[in-house]
Amino acid sequence: MMLFCMECKKIFSSLTYILYSLLVILMIVSQYFMEGGEKVYPPSQGDYDYGEKIVEDHDLIMSTATDALTVEFLSNRYVCYPFGFYKAVHLDNEEQAKIEKYICEITGLDSEGIAEKKKNADVCYITDGTHDYGEYAIRDMPISVSMTYERFTDIMDDVDDILGGGSDYAVDGLVYKFSRVPMTYEDAVEDYNSILTDDRVTNAYARLFSDYAGIVLAILPVFVAAALTAADRRRRMSELIYSRRSSSLRIVFTRFLALVTTMFIPVFVFMVIALIQILIRYNGADIDMTAMFTLPTFWLLPNIMAATATGMLVTEILSAGAAILVQFVWWFMGLMAGGTAGLSGRIGKFTFICRHNALGNRSGFIMNWNNFVFNRVFYMVISVAAVLFTVGIYELKRGGSFNGIRLFGKGSIFRRKA
Amino acid sequence: MVSGCLARVVYSDVKHNFLIHYIVALCILLASPIFFSLSQLDSILAAQPLELYVPLIGVVLMTPVFLPEQNESIYDIVRSKKINHDIVCILRLICSVIVILCMIGAYVLYMKNCNSQVTVRYFIGSSATALFLGAIGFAFAGIGRNVVVGYMASVIYYILNFSFGTKLGYFYLFSMMHGSFIEKKWLILIAFCMASATFPVRRIIRN
Repeated sequence: MMLFCMECKKIFSSLTYILYSLLVILMIVSQYFMEGGEKVYPPSQGDYDYGEKIVEDHDLIMSTATDALTVEFLSNRYVCYPFGFYKAVHLDNEEQAKIEKYICEITGLDSEGIAEKKKNADVCYITDGTHDYGEYAIRDMPISVSMTYERFTDIMDDVDDILGGGSDYAVDGLVYKFSRVPMTYEDAVEDYNSILTDDRVTNAYARLFSDYAGIVLAILPVFVAAALTAADRRRRMSELIYSRRSSSLRIVFTRFLALVTTMFIPVFVFMVIALIQILIRYNGADIDMTAMFTLPTFWLLPNIMAATATGMLVTEILSAGAAILVQFVWWFMGLMAGGTAGLSGRIGKFTFICRHNALGNRSGFIMNWNNFVFNRVFYMVISVAAVLFTVGIYELKRGGSFNGIRLFGKGSIFRRKA
Repeated sequence: MVSGCLARVVYSDVKHNFLIHYIVALCILLASPIFFSLSQLDSILAAQPLELYVPLIGVVLMTPVFLPEQNESIYDIVRSKKINHDIVCILRLICSVIVILCMIGAYVLYMKNCNSQVTVRYFIGSSATALFLGAIGFAFAGIGRNVVVGYMASVIYYILNFSFGTKLGYFYLFSMMHGSFIEKKWLILIAFCMASATFPVRRIIRN
């Protein structure tokens, strides 16, 4: 306990922790309190647009996805977002033939049939980048009676592979991309009521709070962890600590716990503030008093743990700079992939930064509940495993059989041996 | 004689301290086709990699200028040498800026070769963003005497640009994607001021 308190004290007084706290405060206040987390009012009848909802309709998915694939096939221009950024894929003849074969299998048409559809479709010429291409307006591709949804998803999986990933045809995104229907007034009322009754208000706000906080908590802890881990070496305290009686397991785990605890404190403070705000705004409503603590903790703690564990492990093996680089790449890819996946509802088994940037759409979130639980537990387990690995590295360093891979100074891998 | 001495300092520094950073920056650029399409892009799409991705090499190359002497005992040894430590750091900074400009220049030329609509303005715009991000890292690492603080400051500013967008006004990093170049001259000016102010502020804090 004494060691834990000492580590916490060290963290509280570090510049990186102060910067961490400031950015967490800035992000949560500006994004959640000033923009996103406003009071929700019932929809009024006659509004122009109530938004969209996702319905898991396999016929609709097969029909709209086949239309979209045929349009892209005829232009030989497939728009993909492998890491959230635009990428136009042009296939060679062999790959185009494979796509055509799949379209024929789904629709029951042959090559002539597809050519006939192309001939009869309206074409508009669009400039994309510096390239002009013809886009064929095809919206009525038939679906073969023998085509099952299981076979359809297998085909879409292959198509996504041919396109190099990140396409609209990725199996886990089919529902979100091709099964959207406009919401009616009744749907909008139902969505509003689900915030009050099913979510009991706080669950909806807890999701939005976690969405905003999760973005920064997936990257910032690495700086605090890397700075703390590297501080021993920098202040030439490593040898002194190595000679202590405490086990490596105790030293490393205490440090990890101290880091996670201290970095969770600003988040926890804002959970309390958010709950108070909800209690004032929805005075008299049936409010779940625990949801503002349980859901964000389960959502955000794995982010803090994973970034902290990465910071500690890579700093022990390489350096603080390498740890920051590794975490930044992970964060950047996760953030961009999360944006492409749609900002609400779509959470995969291994999505690092879970997004749900809406107060409503509870059904979209619940649809992925199993993925969400698996995902969060997975990252917690991975983090603990990484810390255990760090303990092993620390023990080796303590025993003198490994001194980390040095990039600078004495023993550097870039330094020429005399 | 002096120039020969400085050349030796640069050669030794690049070889022993900065080679890894140059390699990392090069790897970042070479990895960009994984994330982005670089061919046949119009001016708005071409700005995406040049503003969102390529400027990250500024953080990689400018932030660690003070890293080799971050350890106090090494700093004390370096201070006892004939050549002023600040001059060595200025030389490192100049080398980093030159490498940044060369890398971005080569990247823009490659995009041009792939029939994307990029011009000299895009080169200047991307370089301005890289130098600004790098200058933030350089200043914080120098004043905070910890390279992690430098990296952290740069990354925080980068994240803020996603969250606050055009609200950052003249300090918005991704303006080229919205067709605006006016912010870039401010970024270059502030980057120069920050980098210049770092040395005296660092000395004042130390004293």
